[in-house]
Amino acid sequence: MGEIAVSAKADDVLVARGLGSCIGLALVDRAAGVAGLAHIVLPESTDGSGGPGRFADRAVPVLVAQVLDAGAIRRRLEAVLVGGAHMFDVAGGLNIGSRNEAAVRHGLARAGVSICASATGGNIGRTLRIAVSDCAITMNEAGSPVMTLLAGSPSWPTGATTSQRSVSK
Amino acid sequence: VTPRFTSTQLDALRELANIGSGTAATALAQMLGQEVNLTVPRALALPLADAVDACGDADDTVTAVLIPLEGDIAGVVLLLFQIDGARALCRLLGVEAGSEVGNSALREIGNILGTSYMNGLAAMTGLSMEPSPPHLTTDMLGAIVSSLLAQTVGASNMALVLDSELEVAHQPCSMSFLLLPMRGGASDLLAPLGLAQVEA
Repeated sequence: MGEIAVSAKADDVLVARGLGSCIGLALVDRAAGVAGLAHIVLPESTDGSGGPGRFADRAVPVLVAQVLDAGAIRRRLEAVLVGGAHMFDVAGGLNIGSRNEAAVRHGLARAGVSICASATGGNIGRTLRIAVSDCAITMNEAGSPVMTLLAGSPSWPTGATTSQRSVSK
Repeated sequence: VTPRFTSTQLDALRELANIGSGTAATALAQMLGQEVNLTVPRALALPLADAVDACGDADDTVTAVLIPLEGDIAGVVLLLFQIDGARALCRLLGVEAGSEVGNSALREIGNILGTSYMNGLAAMTGLSMEPSPPHLTTDMLGAIVSSLLAQTVGASNMALVLDSELEVAHQPCSMSFLLLPMRGGASDLLAPLGLAQVEA
């Protein structure tokens, strides 16, 4: 929770396990083979304390900067969002999940990064994986098979359209 | 703002968890007519990034009963059953695991145990604690615990987790009890014991 990881090593797999109301934000440049992952906990920081990865308002620009540093090109960046669920219907629940998702989408729009797939909302937990070797992004829910959200291989820029898939609930 | 706990405070919190889970273990033993064993509880003050891992494997599917605490202290009591444990408990109760009746039975067990746990804490501290109606869900452990931590820790970077395990003797049935105090909840628990010097 609250961590940011960036890698350009083909052997690495970046994982955010058991995302509930948190958002796993994956940013990849498939052509450069650079991937980044942030495990975002809350929509905004109230007092600027704590690591930047925990809060959407700070995590998005920091993750973008880190993948660019690692060799990614901004216009090739693709984002995938997973999580943002509403796990418990508790009275007075703050609905952090949907607020997290809105804050991350807002941050990505400001950074000029397009979202190519998402699996968000509902009341289920999810695990997100990025295989850095080909930047394929997969997701699974508890006890369910793995789904591909972004196909691997550096198809940019020859492929005019990237595969788009949304399983938002 | 990061709350820090001294070792004396963590000892006191562990003792509270011990009393709470001891009361719950007695209730469970009476309900099942079986011996129930209790492990020594842990009181963990951890960076958020490590808190979920301390509770178990984030990918594991577990059945959870969640009881929000209101009254003098705010927080959440969480009872976690491994799939096998939930199944064994349902068998002991003579209901089918995973069915509507099975879930309802687990929710009620969770309610009784959670309430016993709170009663143990309340008796020790003199605080009033009102359990809200229980919620039951089966999902990834990480998704359940992290979503609760997100609500309970606020801007703090540290999570306080009180963890105890109950085990029904001679049965493949164990469950963990977690108390996740909301911001300020830990100070409120410690204050009646004369130990409330928690920052944040």
